[in-house]
Amino acid sequence: MRNTFKKGGIHPEAHKEASRGIELLKLPRKAVVPLSQHIGAPARPVVSKGDKVRRGMLIAENSAFVSAGLHAPISGTVAEIVPVALLWGKSTQAIVIEADEEEHRADTELRQEYWANMIPGESDRLLSERLSPEEIRRKVSEAGVVGLGGATFPSHVKLDVKSEARPEMLIINGCECEPYLMCDDALMCAYPGRIVEGVELMMKAAGIGKAVIAVEDNKPEAAASLSAALDSAHDISVRVLKTKYPQGGEKQLVEAVTGRRIGSGKLPASVGAVVHNIATAFAVWQAVATGQPLIERVVTITGDINPQERKNYIAAIGTPFNEMPFTLPASPKIIVGGPMMGRAAVRLDAPVMKGTSGLTVLDAGVKPNVRACVRCGACVDACPMGLEPYLISTYGRLRMWDDAYAAGVSDCLECGACSYSCPSYRPILDYIRVAKQRCKR
Amino acid sequence: MQTVIYTIVVLGVLGLVGALVLYLTAKRFHVEEDERISRIEDLLPGANCGACGRNGCHDFACACVEKGSLEGLVCPGASAGAMDSVSEILGVAPAADRERFVAVLKCNGSCTVRPRVYEYDGAESCAVMDAVGVGRSGCAYGCLGCGDCVGACRFGALSINRETGLAEIDPQACTGCGACTAECPRRLLELRPVGRRERRVWVACSNRDKGAVARKVCAAACIACGKCSRECPFEAIDVNGNLAYVDAAKCKTCGKCIGVCPTGAISATFAPAVVNEKI
Repeated sequence: MRNTFKKGGIHPEAHKEASRGIELLKLPRKAVVPLSQHIGAPARPVVSKGDKVRRGMLIAENSAFVSAGLHAPISGTVAEIVPVALLWGKSTQAIVIEADEEEHRADTELRQEYWANMIPGESDRLLSERLSPEEIRRKVSEAGVVGLGGATFPSHVKLDVKSEARPEMLIINGCECEPYLMCDDALMCAYPGRIVEGVELMMKAAGIGKAVIAVEDNKPEAAASLSAALDSAHDISVRVLKTKYPQGGEKQLVEAVTGRRIGSGKLPASVGAVVHNIATAFAVWQAVATGQPLIERVVTITGDINPQERKNYIAAIGTPFNEMPFTLPASPKIIVGGPMMGRAAVRLDAPVMKGTSGLTVLDAGVKPNVRACVRCGACVDACPMGLEPYLISTYGRLRMWDDAYAAGVSDCLECGACSYSCPSYRPILDYIRVAKQRCKR
Repeated sequence: MQTVIYTIVVLGVLGLVGALVLYLTAKRFHVEEDERISRIEDLLPGANCGACGRNGCHDFACACVEKGSLEGLVCPGASAGAMDSVSEILGVAPAADRERFVAVLKCNGSCTVRPRVYEYDGAESCAVMDAVGVGRSGCAYGCLGCGDCVGACRFGALSINRETGLAEIDPQACTGCGACTAECPRRLLELRPVGRRERRVWVACSNRDKGAVARKVCAAACIACGKCSRECPFEAIDVNGNLAYVDAAKCKTCGKCIGVCPTGAISATFAPAVVNEKI
């Protein structure tokens, strides 16, 4: 019997239809790097208009403890630092870099070499023993690594585990419970050895002796390749979990792996666990072992598009999405991320960011009418946090913020299981999100 | 027949006993309240909007009587006549005429000048719409037209005009309590002084993008060209962060700025005094 979390959860159709291979997307001629790609203070630019930059060079530095630096994804000249529109239409300050023709060619070759050597290359298993935790954290911080699961929390902060918390287990989230998306799955299949080495580095940095890589049972290839990459020197194991959405939620994952419940408003550290995403482990390995900062990530393009175009790409941060080779359906609904937790995109000339896991392009079709709530309780059954979504949603609609807070709105992880399960197609989560934001203020 | 009589007698006696208990309890626990409180409360709007900073109208009335004067107590919702009556009840001199405020919408992007290009199928609420993206038009700053402000207004002064897709303020009904300004997720409503002869001039745009970008999504956007600022004889207009702003304290509502604005982003409650013929 495979474990999963107990309360609530749903089983949406997985639609993991993209090919599992990873392709290198060519470097863009013009890269747009927003200054705020992470949770915390926006990065402070250290370049100005007209400056020459080389690929991988620091272009914006940490402006606070909870912040992450940014690096040039291409070589070229800083064209301007202006507000640019993101996928969902809102604009934010960004550094625009225009490529230099000659360097662009050289970079492309170097990059191809880098990724080609990634698979068979000689691995440095002793790296995690040679470096001190402080050194690893410094390298991670310098590389601007953030949590790549979507929350984009700066990783060096999360790896700096306070000793009084006494964590026992590092949990690596390879669940990828979000339908459609396959970027983590592809990464696990392609570079399992590097991920395991990244996990070793993280264990050293956080001072944790035991690590568990959690993978859902709908990704047997990923679990198998990771298991094959393990060695006996470290206490790392692969745990296959029963597929259920939202298993990738921090609290759900800790419960599924350890059987321990995290209290309301508490962090995983309260039960002795620290959770990191699988792609973050890979980025940590890249940063420490190869010295490449976070300037590329795996992005999935999938959905109701031509099956040959459903792919995973290694894309440079700052690559506009309209440079990706796919054709839109007649009436597209484009979602940044997966259909459960993603948000609708209104334009494709916006850049790939550190937290962008992919695009789900759907055929809009006919939207069912919203009907009245019939008090069936489907959302209550589906809620993994044991909340009453219909009630909190109503409080949100009627602006009853105090009642929403009392009903536990701040525990909501915005997984969307309530809206998904509603037989009346009510936008339950929309109002809960508003109430949650209000209660934070 | 006997049953009926018994029933009437028993129920009658029970009723009398109950009435007696209630009467005695009311006598025993009677709280002496200043009768002025209820008289003042009757004069107040009774909307419990909280704009005075008190917990509703009753609390305001209590505060008036407690203080014995209207010092530091302002009800934005009550008319001047009502407040005069309140001071009469308190036995103090009527408060000096205070400036009245009304809300104005800092967006001019009607459906015609700001085409609604995106389809939105989420919950019909401005807060939700703003949280997930730009809304139906391409403007990340303009009125979303779902009416969150309408729900916040206790005086029925706000409505959504279906034709323009914008919020509309009835200046007669608006009391300037400011409930709507806090409700708008894009902070498009601003309280401005009613002004002499109800004349008001303001920049009806909040788009902070560069002129060319703003113009692309809305024909009536402020492009921060600065013409209004140069035209203004009273130095009342500042252009800052790609957006012009009319300082109500300096503005003499001459209306010269309205004529020179190339996009029509400046709104007023009256026709401009000078119309620039060239535009």
